[in-house]
Amino acid sequence: MKSLSSGGKSLAHPFKYGKETVIETSNLVKVYKEGAIRAVDGLNLRIVKGEIYALIGANGSGKTTTINMLTGSLFPTSGQIHVLGRRIPNKRRIVSNRIGVAPQEYALYNDLTVEQNIRFFAKLYSMDRGSIQKRLDELLSILRLNERRKTTITNLSGGMKRRVSIACALIHQPDIAFFDEATVGIDPVLRAFFWDYFRSLAEAGLTVVLTSHVMDEAERANRIGLMRAGKLVEEGTPEEIKQRNSVSSIEQVFIKLSEGVVADE
Amino acid sequence: MSKTRVFSLSRVVTVTWRVLTQISRDRRTIAQMIFIPATIMLIFGFVAGGAARNLAILVDNQDTGYVVPGGQNSSILHFGDSILSSLQSDDRVSVNLGSFDSGKAGVDNGNYYATIMIPANFSETLFLRNTGQSLNASVTIYIDGTNPTIEATLLAALQSSLQNTFGSGGVVLSEQYAFGGVQFSGLDVSIPAVIGLVLTQLVLIISIVTLVKETTSGVMSRLYASPLSAFERLLGFSFALLILGIGMTGIILFIGLVIFGAIVQGSFVILLSGAVLYALLNIFLAVFLSNFAKNELQAVQMVPLILLPSMALSGMLIPVSSFPGWVQTITQFVPMYHANRLFAGVMLKGYGIGNLTSEFLIIGGMTVLFFALAIITVKDRMPD
Repeated sequence: MKSLSSGGKSLAHPFKYGKETVIETSNLVKVYKEGAIRAVDGLNLRIVKGEIYALIGANGSGKTTTINMLTGSLFPTSGQIHVLGRRIPNKRRIVSNRIGVAPQEYALYNDLTVEQNIRFFAKLYSMDRGSIQKRLDELLSILRLNERRKTTITNLSGGMKRRVSIACALIHQPDIAFFDEATVGIDPVLRAFFWDYFRSLAEAGLTVVLTSHVMDEAERANRIGLMRAGKLVEEGTPEEIKQRNSVSSIEQVFIKLSEGVVADE
Repeated sequence: MSKTRVFSLSRVVTVTWRVLTQISRDRRTIAQMIFIPATIMLIFGFVAGGAARNLAILVDNQDTGYVVPGGQNSSILHFGDSILSSLQSDDRVSVNLGSFDSGKAGVDNGNYYATIMIPANFSETLFLRNTGQSLNASVTIYIDGTNPTIEATLLAALQSSLQNTFGSGGVVLSEQYAFGGVQFSGLDVSIPAVIGLVLTQLVLIISIVTLVKETTSGVMSRLYASPLSAFERLLGFSFALLILGIGMTGIILFIGLVIFGAIVQGSFVILLSGAVLYALLNIFLAVFLSNFAKNELQAVQMVPLILLPSMALSGMLIPVSSFPGWVQTITQFVPMYHANRLFAGVMLKGYGIGNLTSEFLIIGGMTVLFFALAIITVKDRMPD
């Protein structure tokens, strides 16, 4: 059986700021009509090229809503979004060719095989047959799915489905990848593998925006945005955030900032 | 710790309470539980309430009458006029006058349900027969036999007019059947309607469930963020469903024609084209309706809402001519009514495109309308 281990790489990940801004939001607000819930409340984000940015927060803090607005799937109530220099959602179809999304749910066709799913999404990005085949072989190999390429999604484990979902998001070699809770509920070995993989993608110039409600996991990101009740309550590198709050873990930062109040009450 | 019983009525009641509470929270299901039976019963109540009325027929009364010899006491008999006047006072038929040939042409092209010819020597023959001569007076009826209820109503109207005039016996009724002279069996006349019904049900259910399954699978959040536009997605779905629709049409026609030996007097190509067009109409209707269903259950619940009123109003159970006037107006907006006319026209009457232009245009127009509604209502992003 092939190992998914990262080979014990350090979590340290030097990152230089001042690069090209690829995502920017200004006073972003989303109020859902049903229940008049203010899911995102005045969010200002700036994410630069090649960084791994982790939006973290408890369930219901507005992470997924933010991702959905950044990808153009959900329209904001107010505020502005620019992705790759284009206004979203107005220019979302243009930008869509350069972004990849792995939603929180697997978002795959259960009756199709691994290969059929990836090919389907590849064709939506107008990739030619040769490029699809080359990229498919590459991704299936990296994500250790080669032996399962003809297996239908229904017959895969949760971790494998997650890997297929990531492959679908990356098939067209996007400039930005959005992974919504991509590493939640999976085997720790697989999680470590994912983080190594994300890091290698970032080093190659891909910007990774991911969400997680597992606080400690986010320490592996270049920068963290800590969300609570739709607001960004803390932002910076993991070390900066911990130093600023005089604690030793991101989870402690979260507890401190929450002041003992449960977020979704 | 309390003892666990093998059977507990309280546990049963708990499950019952839970199921009822869940249903009571689903407002759409509650609305359908009230709306569907109320609508269906009202529709069936209205359409089933009357008998066939005002069936258009043409009468060619050629009877010249007969002068009964008797010197100064001679009298003129006009039995043809008596039959005609009896028919004119019968509300089951709406009598037009004209030549038998034009009447036959009218039956052939769907303007009349029957045409009746009373021969020139009708009164004379009847008189002479009554004097003991071995003669038969006959009335010829050229009738559309593609709808058993209408056929029976017309024959009953003619029989009662003859009976009013002559009592029992005396006149031979010569029946000629239109559309190739075929006297259709119950199976023959029901198959076109069954094709319409099965096509509606199958295409609607499969299409609507396939569409809603997509929205509930979570894939939409990925698709919304892809270059695929809502219009492209709608077209892609429609093509796939059309291929399925053609397949389903083929199966239905194969079973109807090969296994049950249904009659197709007209062109098979026209029948197939009509069936595929009607399948397309239902596909776009499904695409439109799928926008209002949040899950597969709600999608499936929509099908009887379309199917049952369609069955009632399409004329497949009760002839449309027996409906009250305002209900007959509504039937014009029911796709299955036009589909049934189209299928029966090709299969039983042998109609070509010329006779079926209006049906093709109406079904085609409705298809375009549902396609437009589908485009207008299709979602291209997550709900707000």
